[in-house]
Amino acid sequence: MNDQIGQNAAARPQQGVSFAQTRGAPQALAPGRAMLSLRGLDFYYGANHALKNISIDFPEQRVTGLIGPSGCGKSTLLRVMNRMYDLYPGQRATGEVLLDGQNIIAPGTDTNALRSRVGMVFQKPTPFPMSIFDNVAFGVRLHESLDRAAMEARIEDALRRVALWAEVKDRLRAPAAALSGGQQQRLCIARTIATRPEVILLDEPTSALDPISTARIEELLDELKVEFTIAIVTHNLQQAARCADQVAFFYMGELVEVAPADRLFTAPREKRTQDYITGRFG
Amino acid sequence: MDATPAGGRAGTRKVDTGLGGKLGDQLFAGIAWAAGIVVLLLIVGIILVMLVGGSHALQVFGVGFLTHAVWNPVVDHYGAAAPVFGTLVTSFIGLLVAVPLAFGVAFFLTEMAPGWLSQPVGTAVELLAAVPSIIFGMWGFFVIVPVMAQDVQPALIDTIGHAPIIGRLFSGAPFGTGLLTGGLILAVMITPFIAAVMRDVFNSMPAVLKESAYGLGSTRWEVMRKVVMPWSRVAVSGGIMLGLGRALGETMAITFVIGNSNRIGASLFAPGNTIASLIALEFPESPAGSLKLSALLALGLILMVISFITLACSRLLLRQRGN
Amino acid sequence: MSATTTRLGAASRHVAPEAGRARRRRFANLAATVLCAVATAILLAALVSILVTLVSRGLGGLHLSTFTRMTSPPGSGGGLLNPIVGSIIQTVLAVLVGAPVGLLAGVFLAEFGTGSWVADVVRFVSDMLLSAPSILVGLFVYLILVGPVGHFSGFAGAMSLAILVIPIVVRTTEDMLRLVPTSMREAAAALGAPRWKVVMLICVRAARKGIATGILLAVARVSGETAPLLFTSLGNLSWSVNLNAPMSSLPVTIYQYAGSAYDDWVQLAWTAALLITAGVLIINIIARLGLGGRDST
Repeated sequence: MNDQIGQNAAARPQQGVSFAQTRGAPQALAPGRAMLSLRGLDFYYGANHALKNISIDFPEQRVTGLIGPSGCGKSTLLRVMNRMYDLYPGQRATGEVLLDGQNIIAPGTDTNALRSRVGMVFQKPTPFPMSIFDNVAFGVRLHESLDRAAMEARIEDALRRVALWAEVKDRLRAPAAALSGGQQQRLCIARTIATRPEVILLDEPTSALDPISTARIEELLDELKVEFTIAIVTHNLQQAARCADQVAFFYMGELVEVAPADRLFTAPREKRTQDYITGRFG
Repeated sequence: MDATPAGGRAGTRKVDTGLGGKLGDQLFAGIAWAAGIVVLLLIVGIILVMLVGGSHALQVFGVGFLTHAVWNPVVDHYGAAAPVFGTLVTSFIGLLVAVPLAFGVAFFLTEMAPGWLSQPVGTAVELLAAVPSIIFGMWGFFVIVPVMAQDVQPALIDTIGHAPIIGRLFSGAPFGTGLLTGGLILAVMITPFIAAVMRDVFNSMPAVLKESAYGLGSTRWEVMRKVVMPWSRVAVSGGIMLGLGRALGETMAITFVIGNSNRIGASLFAPGNTIASLIALEFPESPAGSLKLSALLALGLILMVISFITLACSRLLLRQRGN
Repeated sequence: MSATTTRLGAASRHVAPEAGRARRRRFANLAATVLCAVATAILLAALVSILVTLVSRGLGGLHLSTFTRMTSPPGSGGGLLNPIVGSIIQTVLAVLVGAPVGLLAGVFLAEFGTGSWVADVVRFVSDMLLSAPSILVGLFVYLILVGPVGHFSGFAGAMSLAILVIPIVVRTTEDMLRLVPTSMREAAAALGAPRWKVVMLICVRAARKGIATGILLAVARVSGETAPLLFTSLGNLSWSVNLNAPMSSLPVTIYQYAGSAYDDWVQLAWTAALLITAGVLIINIIARLGLGGRDST
């Protein structure tokens, strides 16, 4: 597993903006091929049945927005897809989560390798207590051993993608904690894409940010989806409408409805969806 | 209680997760566990050594070891009552004075003093916490004892000394040394220790909590009383515990000012002894295998038990108030 | 806008009858402020008194020869070279042994032991060790490292100090690691970091300032410790850096000399007291400056 990851990484070009084109030749596939498919997923916090029989596809090169009231299970769903729940005893998942056809919640999955393929960005920025450079390099160093030049190129590339390069290129050795909240969040996204994942999970990435920083991150998602499969949990329906190609509405641990964004917001099929998006509850 | 410790689960969980993490994680978990066990073995070792070494004296004197206030190497008769009494009284006086002082200092530093003042004063408090205990002993003996003998104790005798019941505590000859002086030196020693911990704790409190209380129109004192103190009580108790532990086992400072006498009396001015000071003073004259050495080890065991009880009580208290 | 003003006005009229209560609250606040300031003044007075005493009595005996000459019989103009070197050796060895054990045990408690009864026991026992009188640690080390060997040794002294270092480091390490937000751990794990890297590269790093402070607290405490050394390294009147032989130290020298009948020995005790206190305080100040300079927590 590790070896396979390493080879993939080695096969990718070290520099430039175009690794999406060479990575597994995505153009050959019809856009919208499901990168991640959930089939009959159930999730439990101890005795609490938090997700009930969820089946949903996350198409490649698309942004899928997950919406619903607090406690509906949307964040839990993200934490299943990179097996973050493994960190805590008493949490378990059953069913299938297929990443490129392989069930990642089956026993025997290398979670560390999995998480290098499925990256995650959290609600609050989580800069590590080290320099800006080392923050972005941290994930890369876990999975690949690059020489100095390649590492620097990788980091510049990641920082450019999140539009942070111009702001930090002169102080890469400065502590990341000194950045503003919005910059920190973009740094965290850079840190995630620097490991070259296939899927990026974002858990309310802008809820702690000001409107300007939020707008920048939303623009960023649009650019990133060319290369990554993206799932974003958000409380902000406008954000879901702006950024997502496909939106899934969750309620009480159930997937109520999933549809293209414009259809879900203009003509929801389910009454509960209708109630939620018109602000009648949640 | 779970049969499998969670740490073990967490360590072995990665078994199914492949190569890179597995070995490193297991190794690391193993080392961390070993370090924890070392700490455990140390305390077991200390208790065992005291127990084995002190068993001779405990067998010879039985329960009387605890109740007799005799310490007579000439006739080889030893009792623990006097040093136990001295230990408890000095520590009690020390805490009685130190806890309010420490609260005052910590509140002053974190909430009241302006930045230009709290910074240097805070440094001074931390520096006082770092002063070695033997220095407190010398300072106590050469500076505090004369003041106690000439001013404080005569004044106390003239005033509270005439009061009905508590007057007996403040009677007797004003030597300057004795239980009260010992307790006060302990208070000065442990106050900065406790205050430093409290200050760190108060400072680590999220500002939002305090600000929301101020936002409701609370005064500074009310914020302290109702928000800071409840929020920080666990860690603060830890600090007080640290101070009490230091007071109970304090040796060098006490040895200088306690007066070295194995008697029990009502007067706080009377010379006394604590378990630790008695051990320090008598150990060099206790040959291996002697009844006296055994009695000293038994005293050590008692001191250990007292520390243990203090700690257990505060833990119990915390568990009740916590959650 | 005007509606808001009216509402506020109504509210303040509501408060008006409670003026007596407001006065009481203000008075309580003032009283608390004054008492806290007085408490602080008392403590500062104690520190000033100690420092003034040390300087006025100790400085007079401080000469170059204090650092170049060994301790010697009364009246022969001895110095403090061997106690100074002995103190440094024993303290450094104690921290080298005690800090890593304490750090790892702290990591065990914060990261691996959560929820297990073993961790609860270790945590309790570590607190016991923290409260354990240092003189008992001296007795313990005497009985296992001095008694069986038949002679006092600097090694035994260092080990008794190491035992005192461990619980201090354990507690600060655990406390500081618990202050590291869960999100930081999750973010590292989400990049695919194995648990040990999450702990050592992220959590310990995030807590390093607090952990370093804990270690310094430990250094400050053990470098002035006298009681455990009385029974372990004992003291040595002549030069010795042999860890397998009795070793001199500043605190024990102070204890032996302060109570002596010779004026020059008492003077040396004060000078030694000044030195050890100055050393401990300077370590503290340097540490504070060094740690304060970094802002990346």
